[in-house]
Amino acid sequence: MPIQRLVIKLVMAVAASGVLRSVPAATQVSAAKEKAALVRITQGPEIERADPEFAIVRWTSNNPGGSPEHYGVVRYGTDPTKLDQTAKSPIRLNPAHSYTVFRVRLDGLKPATTYYYKVEATEANGKSDRMPSPVRQFTTPR
Amino acid sequence: MQGRALAPMIWIFALCMIALCMTLPARKVSGQNAAAQTHARLYDPYPPGILPSDLNAEIERVRRELRVLEGRALERWYGLQPPILTGQPPTLQNTGTEAIETLGELMNYDQNISPNKNRACSFCHMPYAAFSGPIPSVNLTMIAYPGTVHFRAGKRTAQRYTYSPFFPVLQYNRVQGLFFGGNFFDSRSTGYLLRNPDAEQAQHPPVDTGEMGFPDTACIAFRLSQAEYRPLFEQVWGKGLFDIKFPPETERICDTPGGAATFAGSATPIPLTPEDRTRSNIVFDRWGQSIDAYEQSLQVSAFSSKFDTFLKGSYKLTADEMTGLKLFDGKGNCNSCHLDGRGTTLKRGQTDTGAAATVNPLFTCFGSANEGLPLNPRDAIYYQTTPDSYGFTANPYGFGYRDLGLGAFLRSAFGSAPNPNASWTQYATSTDGQMQVTTARNVAMTPPQCPTTEAPGPYFQKEFFHNGYIKSLKQLVHFYNTRDKYKYNVTSGHCPAGTTEKVDCWPMPEVRNNIDMTTGNLGLTDKEEDQIVAFLLTLTDGYTRPYPNSDTYTGTCMTGGSAKTQGNESLIPTPKLPACATAICGVEPVPNPIP
Repeated sequence: MPIQRLVIKLVMAVAASGVLRSVPAATQVSAAKEKAALVRITQGPEIERADPEFAIVRWTSNNPGGSPEHYGVVRYGTDPTKLDQTAKSPIRLNPAHSYTVFRVRLDGLKPATTYYYKVEATEANGKSDRMPSPVRQFTTPR
Repeated sequence: MQGRALAPMIWIFALCMIALCMTLPARKVSGQNAAAQTHARLYDPYPPGILPSDLNAEIERVRRELRVLEGRALERWYGLQPPILTGQPPTLQNTGTEAIETLGELMNYDQNISPNKNRACSFCHMPYAAFSGPIPSVNLTMIAYPGTVHFRAGKRTAQRYTYSPFFPVLQYNRVQGLFFGGNFFDSRSTGYLLRNPDAEQAQHPPVDTGEMGFPDTACIAFRLSQAEYRPLFEQVWGKGLFDIKFPPETERICDTPGGAATFAGSATPIPLTPEDRTRSNIVFDRWGQSIDAYEQSLQVSAFSSKFDTFLKGSYKLTADEMTGLKLFDGKGNCNSCHLDGRGTTLKRGQTDTGAAATVNPLFTCFGSANEGLPLNPRDAIYYQTTPDSYGFTANPYGFGYRDLGLGAFLRSAFGSAPNPNASWTQYATSTDGQMQVTTARNVAMTPPQCPTTEAPGPYFQKEFFHNGYIKSLKQLVHFYNTRDKYKYNVTSGHCPAGTTEKVDCWPMPEVRNNIDMTTGNLGLTDKEEDQIVAFLLTLTDGYTRPYPNSDTYTGTCMTGGSAKTQGNESLIPTPKLPACATAICGVEPVPNPIP
């Protein structure tokens, strides 16, 4: 009986192996753009909108290239010498575009408060685009 | 005398009965279990107005259409050439492709693959809607489709079949730091076993409690073993797989919907020997693979759109379509995720003469993104908080349910499925709220007699994104364009006086984590939005040749109103939301912040 069971299991295993087949190679990940030698902000950073507890920071750079998924990163705080809070938002690079718009959401802000901030960008794996940024400021409405 | 007179009548009667019996099919593919729902009390936990008033009539309308489609599939099967099995590995020479596609087609329209014999896969995915939701009033209101038990329902919109077979096995690309592939909005059908996410996708609804709802995957093998088209199954996959000793109680078990208290949580209530369980599992795999073959065939994924003709060089886009394409690639930045395969970026005044980088672009990057859709309080899932007559409760958390999409799957959390890869779980927090980037192909497909998705029509009401909050393509493009410009810190149904929801008020996102900021404030004009819509219409299959079975819609079209506010008459106020349930947001690694 154990031999019969073994034979059945063997037959089933062979049958199961026939189940396996590949999907046509259809991977259509967007082509990565070559990493830019130098990434510079061409517009901004600036405040797209500021609410009492929420803001969006926006800036444009030349296309940094690299992984299609990027993160815009904002370091911010109420002390210009201590930007100890971080917000980051994903954006998707368009390899065919010469420029890239970054936009980052800042949640949980305090009303009527002045914040200082600077920006940077990273590839999906966290590698920095080395994008020099000035420190700017904004004040949330009451 | 009397007896002599009766004798011929008895003979005539007997002959008539024999003739009548001969006209009856041996066994209809789909059962007509009209009394199925009388076996159990209707489950209606919904407040007034959540279920559409025409729901029963519309369910029956779709079931009638399914029988037409089933009849056509049977005709196709009957017309297949005799098989010739030859070669090594053995192949059904000349006939194999059509045989497996036809088998998948028959399965797709078979209403016996549900406990009450009243639901087929295509009940939620009809050809005339590019294999998405076929009931306008459901698309307008409860957004998820009622399953075999009336009225259990799912939680998301019915995703289009078209081009789903082209998604790769779910993978985490370490270099890019991203997930690619899988099927379903939350990618939970990974393809890890069959190496084919679409085939694994087809395995979920038959055992999803809110859909076709079998209690045991062996019920699929059981019902297929009784199917009229079993000979075709055995022709394609070989004989012997149905040599399963089903115990006498199998019929009763398979007639009982999944989740019933009587099963005490067991996923395998049918007692089978290990060998029979393996056979049954193989049949279940063959089920998924056959349906995948149909979905990948030209019957479903047709590559027959106006845009395909444009890529071939034999169609010239109209001025609005071309401008829409330029905006899709440029200012709208849509093709950063909905890849269109174009090799050039156009500047103002340029004509697209570049060779296509890909001649069959799928208009998806196979990735996932959180577009920040507001919570849709009409979603049927929020109301299924009490047990039905089987003792099953779909969502004990009510409005404490949050749809974290891919993040919930990676945690194997409530509302998704088990994640087979523990190394992925660490990425849950960076994927919370993300839903699969659906192909833009066929987003605009409607039945021929209702030629548009857009009011004033005559139009066919569709639903867009995972929770159906968006009701027209105009709204869809306007949402991408202005989500952040018109952001209000309110939930749906509570836009401030003086604003109009979906026009100049977008309620807060259901999940504010990982919101994709590629879009949200694109600066498109009203006309430019319309031009992108015009371009999206070029992606509808059926331009070069009629789209198969798109002629089966027997419902009505809607008219009147404006695409900008389409469906707004159905908005309801979102109740005050309780905290996200622990079974969702309390699973490690916990979302940050907690939605």
